Amino acid sequence: MKIKQLAVLLSNKDSRKKYSLLMKLSIFIYLLCVFQLMAYNGFSQDKVTINEESTPLKTIIKQIEEQTKHHFILNNEEVNVNQKFTIYATNENVTNVINRLFKDSSITYLIKENLIVLSSKDQKEYTISGTIKDAANGETIFGASVYLMDTTIGVTTNEYGFFSITAKEGSYTLVASYMGYSNVSFEISLREDQKKDIEMVEESTELDEVVVSSGLSEGVDVRTPQMSVSKVSISTIKEMPVVLGEVDIIKSIQMLPGVTNNGEGSSGFNVRGGAVDQNLVLLDEAIIYNTSHLFGFFSVFNADAIKDIKLYKGGVPARFGGRVSSVLDVRQKDGNSKNLSATGGIGLISSRLAVEGPMFNDKGSFLIAGRGSYAHLFLKASGNKNSVKFYDLNLKTNYELNKNNKLYLSGYFGRDVFNFSNLFGSTYGNASGNLRWNHIFNDKLFSNLSLIYSKYDYELSIKLAEFNWISSIKNYNIKYDFKYYVSNNFKLDFGISGLYYGFDPGQIAPTTETSSINELKLDKKKAFESALYINAEHKLTNKLTAQYGIRYSAFSRLGGQSLADYANNLPVVYNNKLGIYERGEKIGETAYKKGSTIEFFGNFEPRASLAYQLNESSSVKMGYSRAAQYIHLLSNTASVTPLDVWTPSGKFIKPQLSNQYAIGYFKDFKNRVYSLETELYYKDVTNRIDYIDGSDLIGNNTIETEVMSGTSRAYGLEFLLRKNEGKFTGWLAYTLSKSEQKVLGGAAGGPGINDGEWYNTSYDRTHDISLTGSYKLNDKWVFGSNLVLQTGRPVTYPNGQYQYEGLSIASYSSRNADRLPLYHRLDISATYTPNRKPNKKWKGEWVFGIYNIYNRKNAASISFAQNPDTGINEASRTAIFGIVPSATYNFKF
Amino acid sequence: MMKTDIKYLFILIGLVFSACTDVVDVDLKDADPRLTIEASLNWEKGTSGSNQKIKLSTSTPYFKPNIPNMVTGALVKVINNDSAEEFIFEDQGNGEYTTSSFVPVLNNSYTLEVNYLNEKYIATEKMISVTSITDLSQSKEDGASDEDLEVNVSFKDPKDEKNFYLFKFKKVGDLLPELIDLDDKFINGNEIKITYEKEEDEETDKKEAFVPEDIVDIEFIGISNSYYNYIRTLIEQSSGVDVFNSIPVALKGNCVNTTNAKNYAFGYFRVAEVVKTSYTFK
Repeated sequence: MKIKQLAVLLSNKDSRKKYSLLMKLSIFIYLLCVFQLMAYNGFSQDKVTINEESTPLKTIIKQIEEQTKHHFILNNEEVNVNQKFTIYATNENVTNVINRLFKDSSITYLIKENLIVLSSKDQKEYTISGTIKDAANGETIFGASVYLMDTTIGVTTNEYGFFSITAKEGSYTLVASYMGYSNVSFEISLREDQKKDIEMVEESTELDEVVVSSGLSEGVDVRTPQMSVSKVSISTIKEMPVVLGEVDIIKSIQMLPGVTNNGEGSSGFNVRGGAVDQNLVLLDEAIIYNTSHLFGFFSVFNADAIKDIKLYKGGVPARFGGRVSSVLDVRQKDGNSKNLSATGGIGLISSRLAVEGPMFNDKGSFLIAGRGSYAHLFLKASGNKNSVKFYDLNLKTNYELNKNNKLYLSGYFGRDVFNFSNLFGSTYGNASGNLRWNHIFNDKLFSNLSLIYSKYDYELSIKLAEFNWISSIKNYNIKYDFKYYVSNNFKLDFGISGLYYGFDPGQIAPTTETSSINELKLDKKKAFESALYINAEHKLTNKLTAQYGIRYSAFSRLGGQSLADYANNLPVVYNNKLGIYERGEKIGETAYKKGSTIEFFGNFEPRASLAYQLNESSSVKMGYSRAAQYIHLLSNTASVTPLDVWTPSGKFIKPQLSNQYAIGYFKDFKNRVYSLETELYYKDVTNRIDYIDGSDLIGNNTIETEVMSGTSRAYGLEFLLRKNEGKFTGWLAYTLSKSEQKVLGGAAGGPGINDGEWYNTSYDRTHDISLTGSYKLNDKWVFGSNLVLQTGRPVTYPNGQYQYEGLSIASYSSRNADRLPLYHRLDISATYTPNRKPNKKWKGEWVFGIYNIYNRKNAASISFAQNPDTGINEASRTAIFGIVPSATYNFKF
Repeated sequence: MMKTDIKYLFILIGLVFSACTDVVDVDLKDADPRLTIEASLNWEKGTSGSNQKIKLSTSTPYFKPNIPNMVTGALVKVINNDSAEEFIFEDQGNGEYTTSSFVPVLNNSYTLEVNYLNEKYIATEKMISVTSITDLSQSKEDGASDEDLEVNVSFKDPKDEKNFYLFKFKKVGDLLPELIDLDDKFINGNEIKITYEKEEDEETDKKEAFVPEDIVDIEFIGISNSYYNYIRTLIEQSSGVDVFNSIPVALKGNCVNTTNAKNYAFGYFRVAEVVKTSYTFK
């Protein structure tokens, strides 16, 4: 087998080159040996004795090579050595044996001296396609890998569980694998195009043995160029200790490298030094504008209704766009299509219940999940007039029209309601709906058409001043996405989308006759964002895979409103005398007709990444991506709040554009029990807005007079070591990073914000370490813990004081030049599953947790003010959560 | 206004979820001392306004309030730019500079000149008028708490102009005054009622709320747009800055150092008409 090894060796270096080399080689042999062939044939003295039935070709080759002087030469890309053959021969001439062996097969051979060259007849290619589902509940599985054993042919299933594999005619073993599930493998005979739906069984429900997988993808994906992506399974998220026992997706992803937030009690999350509004958060493709309940204490996602989440920190595929930092893709469950079942939980803060089951004569299924808090009940009971509550509702149904057509309908509605004695009340939340049509054109072309609606609104009623404040953002979105499995080495994604935005930045309405507030309506704004993209996943060689694509996005700010005109066209001007930025002088107004375009922006967004596989278990990946963001969240506070409003790009505010470069090293070791991911990234964003000193965003119709445009940059190193299997699973994440911003005066004049110097963003964290672990003691007890340690967030502290109007006034230093103290805490949890009778449907478990077990008073903020009684200046630390114990009971039936 | 309410929300959630606030030691950097000019020329309605006072001091490190910081030996004068009349403010040797011959004229422009340590500071401001208070009353149900007393100040906002107001409330016996800024953006031309209620201190259990016989001194000041921008930020920052406040900034007033621009002064030169009154709770 020496020459074969040589060939393989060659092929390892560069399979495309090798291909042509071998082709040349065989032609060369042809030319040279056509006349010699006969002569040599007869002189062969080798005899073979072999009795094999349905044996892989490689075994037969080995035996022949052992018994004779012959060596085989073949291209194992072309000739499947695992194909099974049956051959019986007793002391027979090798030439005859070879002849008989390959007679009815797709393999041709040439014998030159003692070399046997195998090649493939012109073979037809066939496609096998289908859907992968969970055997227990019929949920489609996203991201399962499907491959033909002993070949390099394979794909992962898409968002709807669909896969398509094309290979040369022959017999193969098809394997499907997915984290936490037992591998499925079976023989297929590829002699025609075929459909095959696969059901996979979850390991824990199938076996009693202790197999826990970490829930992050099974080992690292060393093959595909996709990098900077994290997938966390809902089961892992449910096991992590959380404050007050409320399972929280947004908090869980912050345990990953490169993801942080502004501390307890701040909405949203920050990815790789990006702002909260730079994350695209999708729930079943619908944009979620506010991810938090109760100001960031809990996430809006009810874990019982969620199938999986995927966070792209960079290398965002071309099918996503509109935000420059990250994409959080959250998918709701489809609903159990096999049995009617329910899951739920009773916790300290909220209770939840999800019911799912088959419908339409098993042609479809549904899921309804609800969650509601009851802290307000306790408050009411204790005679407190204040109340705080939240609830949400998830809905999903699907209906299979036929094999190639499937409809999905999903919806979400969530609300927060506050009442603060007779002062004010506030209510806000997201609502979204999505109708999808999956259509399989043929076994290589998959498509999905989506119609999506989403809205976020905020309402505040100030009872004292007798008025209401309402603001909202809503959008209608149509998307058509295609996936074309061209060949094993080449897959295409392409699609088109149109997104209409309606912004209502705010309305004030008096609530009583006697109210001293005037009615005020800020100008409504409209915009249309469209995009076109194409992306290829291209296997260049066995070792080198590329993903490259381009997205073209266009944004039209639509008319139907008036815009202010400013002297010298400057909404913000520098007052040279006082050394401050001031609002520009309004000199008039321009009215833009309905249907006209106020401003148009178009951007090409190239995305490319490359994976080079160093060996079976390690690879190097690199990527570049450019992204455009056309809408901006106006927030001049350290943390974003639910009342912050979104504003579109237009005449004064330009779209944010980012470039991100990343390189990473990925490795599996100890048979995928451990995995390591390290990445270096650099990201810059132009046209990032910041606010002038003393900016006033509330009820402001001319936001452009409050903002200036600058650049931001972020860079860092991420390290993630995971243990994926065994009694103990978990991960260690470390991030070293920098995130800063610079705003120059530009046309407005002057040096810019912070004297035109770089300053830290509010979410810059130099060091961020998190350790998450789960230990399965036995069938009854599972323990979990989190350890978090990170640099305090940047803040602005006073550097002096002066006396004014009888008060001591703090004078503050430059923007974000100081830091809160180090943030750290340890949380633990224990999950207890009582014994249950095997035939009983009811499954229950208790989750006990202690958040911040050593009661560290982590500062959410430190504020500086005079003590009203003594007049002495004081620094007051607000710590949100001290030690918080919790207990939750979860059930399933 | 709304940011303050957000702050209440935050406190409320804090109460529900065991948040705690405590006083901590923080190491701060100390900036070089800077001249502070508190030049609030108030013309009390119904008086001649001839007696005026300007205070000069220097800034000190944040946690060292007892460093003597009065400024003496400066030359202070105010010029009426419309009449070219000059008013010299005499150094009283205690950081206060006074005059008894000031002539306030509404809508006239005034310039302040301070010469200190061979550097010249200049500020210009227009004298702003203020409307009258139409009613003073007390109630229980108009404030945050239904049980506690509050005082209500009513006035009518003039319709045809942009108005900005500053209120200064101080209960007799209290150490610190409370400042409230107001912009007529949302309330132009209306009857306005401003409510002042003392909040209970949750931590000390000390009875802070108003009781009958309490006296509260009230100043109602008409201010310029630029002073409003200044004082609004100052008030927000002086009551402590947490995550739901704007990121604090180095606040610049209108006192420009013409000798060395970087060495600008803290404080502000304000010329305003004021209504002063007081209310005794029944």
